Amino acid sequence: MAYVATRGGERAIEQAERLFRQDLGAIDAARVESIQKTMPYLIDRVMGEASLYSEELAALALAQTGGELSEAVLVLRAWRTTQPRIAIARPVQQDELLTQRRISAAFKDIPGGQILGPTLDYSHRVLATDVLEGKPFTPPAVDAAARPAPSRQPSLANWQRQQGLVAPVNVNAVAPEDIPDFTREPLLFPASRAHRLQSLARAETGGVLALGYSAMRGYGNAHPTVNELRLGEAEVVVRHPRGTEFSAGRVRVSQAEVTSKEKGGYLELGFAATFGWNEVKVIAAATLDLNSAEAPVGSAVHEEFYLYHTESVEASGFCIHFKLPHYVTFQSVLDAMRDAKATKAAADITPVETRQTEPAE
Amino acid sequence: MSLASLTKPWAATSYGFLDASAKRELRRKMLKAISVPGCQMPYASREVPMARGWGTGGLQVTLTLVNPNSSVKVIDQGADDGVNAASIRRFISRVSGASETWDTLAASIVQSRHRVPEEVMGEDQVLVLQVPNPEPLRGVEPNISVARQMHADADYGKLWLTLYEQIVRKGRIMQGAAYPSMVNGRHVMTPSPIPRWDVPKLNMARHLTFLSAGREKRLFAVPPFTRVEPLVFSDRPYRVEDHADLTCRRSNVSGFFMNELPIDGGGSAFEVSDSNLGIKAIRQAEGAPAEIGKTWYRNGEFSA
Repeated sequence: MAYVATRGGERAIEQAERLFRQDLGAIDAARVESIQKTMPYLIDRVMGEASLYSEELAALALAQTGGELSEAVLVLRAWRTTQPRIAIARPVQQDELLTQRRISAAFKDIPGGQILGPTLDYSHRVLATDVLEGKPFTPPAVDAAARPAPSRQPSLANWQRQQGLVAPVNVNAVAPEDIPDFTREPLLFPASRAHRLQSLARAETGGVLALGYSAMRGYGNAHPTVNELRLGEAEVVVRHPRGTEFSAGRVRVSQAEVTSKEKGGYLELGFAATFGWNEVKVIAAATLDLNSAEAPVGSAVHEEFYLYHTESVEASGFCIHFKLPHYVTFQSVLDAMRDAKATKAAADITPVETRQTEPAE
Repeated sequence: MSLASLTKPWAATSYGFLDASAKRELRRKMLKAISVPGCQMPYASREVPMARGWGTGGLQVTLTLVNPNSSVKVIDQGADDGVNAASIRRFISRVSGASETWDTLAASIVQSRHRVPEEVMGEDQVLVLQVPNPEPLRGVEPNISVARQMHADADYGKLWLTLYEQIVRKGRIMQGAAYPSMVNGRHVMTPSPIPRWDVPKLNMARHLTFLSAGREKRLFAVPPFTRVEPLVFSDRPYRVEDHADLTCRRSNVSGFFMNELPIDGGGSAFEVSDSNLGIKAIRQAEGAPAEIGKTWYRNGEFSA
C-alpha cells in the first residue's frame, strides 16, 4: 500500500506554509499601521505594481508576505481582480494636480517655477548609525518659504506647444467607459496607447529600470532629457448616479515626461505615470515610451519586449515555477538523447564509407 | 419586499472565485477556441491567488467550468499528490464546492500539468491542460505579433525546417515533450509539455481538451473527434518514448509512461507516472475492489 500512503504532498505544503507564517509571527492591526506609516515609498511602489490604490491593503500585503515584494503584489492583484468596477474616474489633467514636487531639466526656470518638494536628491547618503547607539534621529523642522509655492502648476508641454516646439495635442474624444482597460482585456500588439501606459504604470520597478537604463546607456536611440517630473496628488473625480461630479478622495501619483530630439519639426515626448511616488520608475518608463517608435523588433526598447518582460506577476511567477517538478519533460528529452546516442554508437561500429575523397586543389 | 430579499448574501468573492465578467469573457473565448480548433485565443487572464506559471491558465478554465456537482481531479507530472496539484485541487473544491477525486474514471474535469491520464477519457469528461508556452513557433519566432501572422498564413516552414535540421544533425527528431501538432489540418499547436507518449491520446478523442496559458493569456482547444497530428515526415514515423517494455517497481504494471529513478551504484528503477493507475493496480493485486478503465495503450501499444 506504499502508493496509497503517499499523501505526503498535502501535509508538506500545509506545514511549509505554517513554517513561513510562524517565522513572521502574529500580524495585528498595529503592525500593519506601523508599516503604512513608516514605509510610504515602499507602500507606493507596491500600490503602483498592484495597480490598486490602498495604503492600508498594501501595508497588510507587506505584513503577511514579510516584505516579499512579488508575493505582496500578487496577493493585492488577486484581491483587486475580484472587485467590481463601480465607477470610472475623470481623466486627470496635469494642471489640476495638487503638485508637491515638479522639476524640469530642460530649462533653468519654467513657468510656475521649479518646486523641489520632498527629496533625498541632494542629501548625503550617510547611514544614521547614531540611532542604533540610542540617539534617536529627530528631523529638523522645515523653514517655511516666504511665499508658498502655488499648489497647482501649469504643464510645461503646454507652454512648449504654444511655442510650436511640441506637436499639438491630438484630442481623442473617447468616452471614459470606452478607454481600453488593460486589466480586463488581453494585451495585443501593436498595443493601444492606453494599454501601453497602463502596462507601464503597473510594471515592476526593477524591470522597468533595467530596460530603461539599457536604453539610456546606449541600447536605445534616444537619450532622455527630463522635460517635467511631477509628484503630486490627484483628485479622483467620479460621477454620482444623479449626475453631479465629486471627488472621492486623492491619490498620490508620479508622472514623467521625457524628451530627446526633434522629429517632424517637433520635440518627441515620452510619458509615464503611476500610482504613488516612484520617480525612478516613471523616468525609466517614459524613456522606454520615448524610444518605442523606432525600436527594432526584439530590442529592449521594442514595445512588445519591454511590456511583456516588466510585468511583475508574470515574470516572478514564471521564474519561481521552475522549482516545480519537470521530470516528465526531462524524461522525454532523455529518451530522445539516449536513442540518438545509441543509434550513433551502432553506426560507428559498422561505419559506412560514404565520404568521397576530394581531389587536392 | 426588501432590498435584502432581492440580493444574495454578501460574500468575499463570487462563486468559483472569478467574477461574472471574467467568466463571461472566458466562456466566449472557450467557445471560440472550440470553433477554431488549435487556434490560440487571447483572453484577459485575471490574477488568481496563485503565482503565474503555476497553473493559473488551467485554473481559470476549470473555475469557469466547475459547478457543485463536478468531480475534479488535478495531477502534476501524472501524480495526484504532487504538492502543486494538491494545492490547486484544494483551492478548486474550496471555492466551488466540487468534490475531489484521484480517479480518472470518476472525474468530470481533469486538470493536468504535463500528462494525459492513461485511462481513456469519455465524452462527458473535460481535460484541462496547463500550458507554460502556448506558442509552438516561439522557438523559431519569439515575436508574438510575427508568430500570429505566421499562423494566419499557415506558414509553418520554419518549424518543419527545425525538425528536418534535427534529423540531419542527430539522425532523429530530438523534440522531447510539447511536440508540435497539426490540429484539424489547419493550426499547429503545442499540446503543452506532455510527453510524445500522450499526444496520440488527443487525436480523435471522445473528450474535450482545453489548453490554457494564464501567464501568456492564450487558450485553445481540441474538440472531441478532432484530428491532432504530430508534425512528421512521411519517411520518418512519429516515435513515442521507449517506455513500452518498462515495468513499475511498485505496482508491476508495464506498458505505460514511467518515471525514472536513479539507483545508487548505477542503473535506474521505474515507477508508473500515472500514479492513481499504480494505486489501482496495487489494490487489485491485494484483492481490493478497484476498477481500472480501458487504457489508451495496451501492452505498450497505442490502440484507441
